[in-house]
Amino acid sequence: MPIYLYIDRGTFVHRLHPTVKVFALFVMFWSVYWVDQPIALLPVGLVMLWIAQLTDSWPNFYRLRWLFGILVFTTTIAWMVFYRRGAVLVNIPVFHVSKLSLVFGFGRGIKLAELLAASVLFLSTTKIEEFTYGLQRMRVPYRVSFAISLSFRLVPLFIDSAVTIVDAQRLRGYDFNQGGPLERVRRYVPVVIPVFMGALRKANNMAMALEARGFGFSHEPTTFIEYPVTRTDIMAFVFLIGLGTMNFMFYWTGVGRIGPLK
Amino acid sequence: MKTDAQIPVAVPAAAAASVEGVTFTYHGADRPALRAVSFAQAAGETIGVMGASGAGKSTLAKCSNRIVPEFEDGDFHGAITIAGEPLEHLRVCDVAPKVGMVFQDFESQLFSTNVAHEVAFAMEQVGMDRAEMDRRIMPALEAVGLSGFEHRDPMSLSGGEKQRLAIASVLALRPSVIVLDEPTTDLDPEGRAEVFALIAKLRAEGLSLIVIEHESEELRAADRIIVLREGEVAADGLPAEVFARTELLTACGVRPPGLGRALELLGIDAQPKDVDEALEAILRKYPRLAKTLLEGSSDAPLKPPPTAAASKNPAFIGIENVSFSYADGPRVLDSIDLKVEAGEFLAIVGQNGSGKTTLAKHIVGLLQPATGRVTIDGKDRTQMRPAETARAVAYVFQNPDHQIFAATVEDEVAFGPRNFGLAEDEIRRRCDEALEAVGLQNERQSDPFLLSKGERQRLAVASVLVLRPRMLILDEPTTGLDHREQLRMMALVRDLNRAGIAIVIITHTPWLVAEYARRVVLMRKGAKIFDGGVREFFMQDELLRSSSFRAPEITELSRRFGTLALNIDEFVAWVKGRA
Repeated sequence: MPIYLYIDRGTFVHRLHPTVKVFALFVMFWSVYWVDQPIALLPVGLVMLWIAQLTDSWPNFYRLRWLFGILVFTTTIAWMVFYRRGAVLVNIPVFHVSKLSLVFGFGRGIKLAELLAASVLFLSTTKIEEFTYGLQRMRVPYRVSFAISLSFRLVPLFIDSAVTIVDAQRLRGYDFNQGGPLERVRRYVPVVIPVFMGALRKANNMAMALEARGFGFSHEPTTFIEYPVTRTDIMAFVFLIGLGTMNFMFYWTGVGRIGPLK
Repeated sequence: MKTDAQIPVAVPAAAAASVEGVTFTYHGADRPALRAVSFAQAAGETIGVMGASGAGKSTLAKCSNRIVPEFEDGDFHGAITIAGEPLEHLRVCDVAPKVGMVFQDFESQLFSTNVAHEVAFAMEQVGMDRAEMDRRIMPALEAVGLSGFEHRDPMSLSGGEKQRLAIASVLALRPSVIVLDEPTTDLDPEGRAEVFALIAKLRAEGLSLIVIEHESEELRAADRIIVLREGEVAADGLPAEVFARTELLTACGVRPPGLGRALELLGIDAQPKDVDEALEAILRKYPRLAKTLLEGSSDAPLKPPPTAAASKNPAFIGIENVSFSYADGPRVLDSIDLKVEAGEFLAIVGQNGSGKTTLAKHIVGLLQPATGRVTIDGKDRTQMRPAETARAVAYVFQNPDHQIFAATVEDEVAFGPRNFGLAEDEIRRRCDEALEAVGLQNERQSDPFLLSKGERQRLAVASVLVLRPRMLILDEPTTGLDHREQLRMMALVRDLNRAGIAIVIITHTPWLVAEYARRVVLMRKGAKIFDGGVREFFMQDELLRSSSFRAPEITELSRRFGTLALNIDEFVAWVKGRA
């Protein structure tokens, strides 16, 4: 199973300047942040659908389909407990099922799904090196931006090792599914300790290998890959400013709002 | 692999490296890891460094680029100079352009998503301009035979290719010395062959290399061998001189080259570089054997013994027409039929990705076949409870650290029986028995994480042995162990087999198959392409060649005489019987 989300295609989105891509991720988050009303979340959603189609990112969305479903469903249900406004449609203990709570909960679910979708699109079209470069250009120190991008590489290795450890303990008769929720969490100790020890060892090896390859020699390393700014980058930048402004206006004018918690 | 590329090399100085009186004690350790180590490396010289685990080999490698004492804290004395420049007061990253270092763990030294960028990584760090990087990348990739791979993701490469990429990224900086710290330990035979062919090429091109390696056969072509014992230089000389000192090597935990050892036992004073030289030396001493060589042996040991697959005995493990693919992936197992009898000793060999581990996981129930079925002692495995399967077959993972978590050795071993709800008295009895079997009875209260790799591997065996399985599957049990630890591990496995436990061993090591197994299964691309006796297996020249699996040199030598010996003693006895 592929462990990275990056899908190598030659689309204009893939070719965008890394700084524009990092900015695009920021704008998507910004746009979603200001809006609660599901209908007002539609423009950003449509933009993302268009990009997903254009960049051939559907396999990644398919891989995470359950996560998207669970996110929308559980958020909608959870907000029916906390958002207690509007006329009750059905009497269910603990829940406040009204048109307003349904719309608000669904809107929150869609917001989270759109945040996840923006991240998936970003990782589907951006290489780790581009991510580092983009962060650097946004004045994040090289060591910090490299550490962030390296963590993307490490996580799949740790997941791989955790799967092997679960297998090893299961073969010694260990049942991870015994007891209640807390007990189940506690029962992962025989996995967490070897993963943690392995992670420490791996991180130590990696740090040695990094320094041995000159990491830290210069505060401003050069870059092998050239990222020229093109007209497409400028147009994308303008489009993103427009999208961000539009969503802020949705909030400002009240179109995108549902109302405060009561 | 291309061989015509011009390898970028630094302008050689008179002495590439000089190590003078280096002593180092790790923080908190009660004895030095290195004691007064001194040697000088001439430009273009290849030095092989050998020794048991803990002898100080890796510490010496790390001293050469200041990881010790800059990164690993401790008390350092002595001086190291590279190309005439002292390293004192330099940071590790400052040494990078002078000393290139290739580590054993290839996963931990690749940082990019693209091969060309991986080669550029170190050059970017030292602030090289883009045009110069461009000029250096292709020659470095060509030198290691990876031209055409520029746009590949390093993670999609094989182990051997990854290690060659790591070497390319080091070459691109044109260092004065390249240090390779056990670069092939985690590779399959094909990957090992690729890396050692590259090392030979770099040596021929005049690069100064320091190669740390356990297998003496691989270092015969070096200019010089240094053997370390408990942090001190125990031997330093030409390979022929050092490898002739078999008693010293054995005392240092180093396996002497098989051919040299055989000749020594035959009273021949020579250290052959290969099978041809050994053959000539034997013929000079025993000219009568020339007849055997030309005509083949009259007692015809080459006749294949009956194959294990033809046995009519009932199967303990039955694998019937099993096929399997991971989600959205190609077929990993393709219509496999296999029968393993109680008490057998079977070796499963094949390149990485051939399906060996996937097959083993089907036996223990970690994977379910897409088609076909697995039976244990006649019962369908899917109908068996986990406890029943665990008592029948146990699996020891390649890396013991993938299961160790308890605070003491005893608790680690008791983990399995406790999961199966055994009484504490019974658990204690079984722990005693298992710890004694693996020789860890005195480590009962020790912290498992502080044991050596060999001890942790034996602990992993004890922790499944305690369930008293009828079959033990060991996945690469000797990887990363020195010769002494390998022998100890395999003696344990042999004793368990003699006690009636069936053994299935997944391995890349030819001498281990020859010495210990009684039957071999060879896998390729998910299919079983050979199943038979060990002698029969080593007669399959074409099959071995196409699978990149070489017979032990002593077996190859014996075959030149028209016989087939699986180990040194067998071969020496055969020669003496006919000379």
